[in-house]
Amino acid sequence: MTTREFQGIELERVREHVWEIPKEGDMRVPARVLASEPLLEQIGDDKTLQQLKNATQLPGMTKYAVCMPDGHQGYGFPVGGVGATDTETGCISPGSVGYDINCGVRMMKTNLSYDDLQGKEEELVDTLFANVPSGLGGGGVVEGDAATVEAVLDRGMEWALEEGHAVEDDLKHCEDEGVRYDADPSAITQKAKDRGKNQLGSLGSGNHFLEVQRVTDIYREDVADSFGLEPDQVVVLIHCGSRGLGHQTCNDYLRRIEKEHGDLLAQLPDKELAAAPAGSDLAEEYYGAMCAAINYAWTNRQLIMHRTRRVFERVFGRDWEEMEMYLLYDVAHNIAKKEVHDVDGEERELYVHRKGATRAFPAGRPEVPEAYRDVGQPIIIPGSMGAGSYVLRGGAASMAETFGSTAHGAGRVMSRTQAKKDYWGETVQQELEDQQKIYVKAQSGATIAEEAPGVYKDVDEVVRVSDELGIGDKVARTFPVCNIKG
Amino acid sequence: MPYSLRDHTADVGVEATGSDLDELFAGVANGLTACMCESVPDDGDRFAVEVTAEGLEAALFDYLDQLIYERDVRDVLPVDHEATVTEDPATGEWTVAASARGVPLSAVVAREIKAVTYSEMTVEETDDGWRAYVVFDV
Repeated sequence: MTTREFQGIELERVREHVWEIPKEGDMRVPARVLASEPLLEQIGDDKTLQQLKNATQLPGMTKYAVCMPDGHQGYGFPVGGVGATDTETGCISPGSVGYDINCGVRMMKTNLSYDDLQGKEEELVDTLFANVPSGLGGGGVVEGDAATVEAVLDRGMEWALEEGHAVEDDLKHCEDEGVRYDADPSAITQKAKDRGKNQLGSLGSGNHFLEVQRVTDIYREDVADSFGLEPDQVVVLIHCGSRGLGHQTCNDYLRRIEKEHGDLLAQLPDKELAAAPAGSDLAEEYYGAMCAAINYAWTNRQLIMHRTRRVFERVFGRDWEEMEMYLLYDVAHNIAKKEVHDVDGEERELYVHRKGATRAFPAGRPEVPEAYRDVGQPIIIPGSMGAGSYVLRGGAASMAETFGSTAHGAGRVMSRTQAKKDYWGETVQQELEDQQKIYVKAQSGATIAEEAPGVYKDVDEVVRVSDELGIGDKVARTFPVCNIKG
Repeated sequence: MPYSLRDHTADVGVEATGSDLDELFAGVANGLTACMCESVPDDGDRFAVEVTAEGLEAALFDYLDQLIYERDVRDVLPVDHEATVTEDPATGEWTVAASARGVPLSAVVAREIKAVTYSEMTVEETDDGWRAYVVFDV
């Protein structure tokens, strides 16, 4: 048997791209890493594997904890981690969802071609930057009051539709049609709501961005047809989450777990894995709060997308409907969801935690919106601002291998502190423009340095592994043209 | 400098030292500011924050969480931190009475730190005083 060892942790090769850390010590289940040899080298280089092992100690963990090909060290649960816990005997873990609840990505299509865009890149990037709030203190598309925040938490994109920030088609092409009815706005603290008021419709900073892209490659024509994608088409990708409201919600519940379920916490190797026992009042409250934050994040991305339509109208002098600017799909990659999965021949309801992992349900699953039920759910995998992004579709093997999940991005390999030593924001920006005709605009030069293409794993390799494992199949590749960030 | 920024693949670590807890807590908070901004202008008014928690680590966590909250609701970057950390011997609770200067976000180029985390958090007494390590989510 082939084995590999990193920092004292041994992995056994199960088959191509599948590695297992056998159950030992306090682990409740084994752990699996889905990676090619080069990706495994990177994953083994930081604390990802130890964090993955730690995550297997969560009560009710089922089958195995899985690390996706883009996995890297996070806090508590690793980024790129998938863990399913039993909803009756297990737990729900806010730290294993992450601070940015429903951080996710959506892609909007257009009928414009790259030719239509050339010559207008600078005007477009400037107008987007001026009109889509980003960075710290930039406000939001909507100046929210308390009642607005309540409505958004309660009804998500339905609120956006009522208020004229969405059309019905948007809801039909969003996971859960853009609203989680399990939401309980009263489980969100006043503090979190305070933070949410002036950030509704804003990108934030860090790795969040809005990018205008062109489709460069199509790998599966039939699926691309169903998705409405073709070569040279201009699309828009939006990556952000639930902003301060979500971050505060995570911390509020981490602290409550510490106070109310200290006994469970004491059994876990990392405080950030903090979990509320299934069936406890706190587990129910967190689930309601998380679902409300999910609604907030969907609305946040919706407001940004709708604002982007207006920007395109201004730059191209046409109605957005005429430019057919419709939502392809919206995926969450920091989330826990009650889902029913087959575990050793038995149907069980599980909290599937996906922290830096994307749901990847294949054709036929009832949860997939009707528009895509015959081909599988679209999955959007953003790359760095100097590399391609991908559209995949849920693969046939995802249910058996990964609780219906795949990767969420390229995954970092270099720290932010190191990136600022190695890169200078203005230089990165100029090189992208001169060498690749990619127009970048950011609030802070340091953000460009921290997000330089060189700090990320090779997204092509991440997607190749996903495709070869059959958990998320390659459909199309896109390449950046304009990028704005915080 | 009583703090330094440490490598972390996705996020940022802050290591701080202090001769006492007051200096230590203010040092971590100054590290948080440094994660968001390289160059701090002189303007802004001071504001106070106070938190009480059941333990020392929890008090540090709540203090930093409160600073991030104040940043978002006041629209200011908290800088130049001062803190007084005390334990109530009767209850074992720790209180952080602190203040910071709030630089209006419109007057500064700053990036967002999403949250303080408990991941690898360390608050320990050393031969020279105190040392803390905190990971912030970016």
